Amino acid sequence: MELHSADSLEEALDRLQETGGETQVLAGGTDVMIQNMRHEISPSALLYIGRLDDLRGIAHNGTVDIGPLSTHRMLATDHIVRRVLPALAEAAGSVGGWQTQEVGTVGGNLCNASPAADTAPPLLVAGTRVRLSSQSGVRELPLDEFLLDRRRTARRADELLTGIAAEPCAPGTAEAYLKLGRRSAMEVAIAGVAVRLTLDENDTAVEARVAACSVAPRPFRARATEALLQGSPLDPDSVAEAGLMLVREASPIDDGRASAAYRRRVLPDLLARTIEVCRSRLADRREE
Amino acid sequence: MSLVTEVTFSANGREVTVPASAEATLLQVLRLELGLTGTKEGCAEGECGACTVLVDGKPVNSCIMPALAAAGTDVRTVEGLAGPDGLLSPLQQAFVDGFAIQCGFCTPGFLMTLTALVEEDPHPDPAQIKQALSGNLCRCTGYTTIVDAVLAATGNGGRS
Repeated sequence: MELHSADSLEEALDRLQETGGETQVLAGGTDVMIQNMRHEISPSALLYIGRLDDLRGIAHNGTVDIGPLSTHRMLATDHIVRRVLPALAEAAGSVGGWQTQEVGTVGGNLCNASPAADTAPPLLVAGTRVRLSSQSGVRELPLDEFLLDRRRTARRADELLTGIAAEPCAPGTAEAYLKLGRRSAMEVAIAGVAVRLTLDENDTAVEARVAACSVAPRPFRARATEALLQGSPLDPDSVAEAGLMLVREASPIDDGRASAAYRRRVLPDLLARTIEVCRSRLADRREE
Repeated sequence: MSLVTEVTFSANGREVTVPASAEATLLQVLRLELGLTGTKEGCAEGECGACTVLVDGKPVNSCIMPALAAAGTDVRTVEGLAGPDGLLSPLQQAFVDGFAIQCGFCTPGFLMTLTALVEEDPHPDPAQIKQALSGNLCRCTGYTTIVDAVLAATGNGGRS
């Protein structure tokens, strides 16, 4: 296996154009290095992109523009992200430990396309669009259309993920990400739910966005669940009904962390709790 | 674009150039090429923190860090904690004084994470210490003495 290090985006795209099919892009390495050691992947070359500093950093330009090389630690501690994308900050801060958060990147988390990718549900409820660059040009697509299946994305072999643009939480909108694990640190999610909620003055849900991970082959927006919550007073019955819909939209499996039945069992409560966190955040803000 | 076959970085203040294959991890380079065997391999998959070293002051799991990602950086290992006169760092001394070591295998990793923590905040409180250590496992389960040692070395979180 060869190892190449790109000094510029152009170089990286040239390389991917020529050898993208056999090349594994390498950033922080927290997934790729392990998959390589376990022989889950066997690329003929690694392309290290960690020196492409233009792809690292967080800027607020109407959307929150997140460079794909931004680390989980950057997302968890960045003051813009903590204020306008708090669910993303929470999710990033829940990935592994300090050591993995310092090197693991958000772009890597999305491109690795694990069903349990923690940053995906918050980015999905933030209406995130991703930018893919290649020698033949640039295209943008919603994150929901980028994450296709377990370990499969819409990225072509000649493309590099070069931008992540998320809609910030508007005033009157709150969001949260809750992750269920056996312990509170160093866990891959048994299930994760992100909610972004907008209430009117009567506490009716004007808009509710819901996304989940670790309960389907890919993290997904739960559109039917959202439709049930929209216009709802969020009383216990309607939240419970939405929870059952979320179970129907999910397709969990048995794995080493939990059974499918357990995941179906906890999902409605996880949704209800996440909604509750959003509501209490909105209430806190009104008191301020 | 460069085909990488070697990597140059600073190891405990000394510039080194070592061969690096595509698969090479920073841990392998430190232990096998440089003989810095204070850094341990525990799980070898980024879960246990035994291999923690500081790269530009930040704690990383060297067992899953590509060696080339260390190029041009300042890498510190447990061998770099004591002063040139051999005097232990305050954290190291507090570990010894407070019996915060049982089998000792996880100790270098704990010390490196805690060194980063104390450089970020010289007076961490117990919650910050525990949060910082969430990626370091001690299977002797000696966590209480470890947290106490940090508090002893840093003035009890500036509180009691």
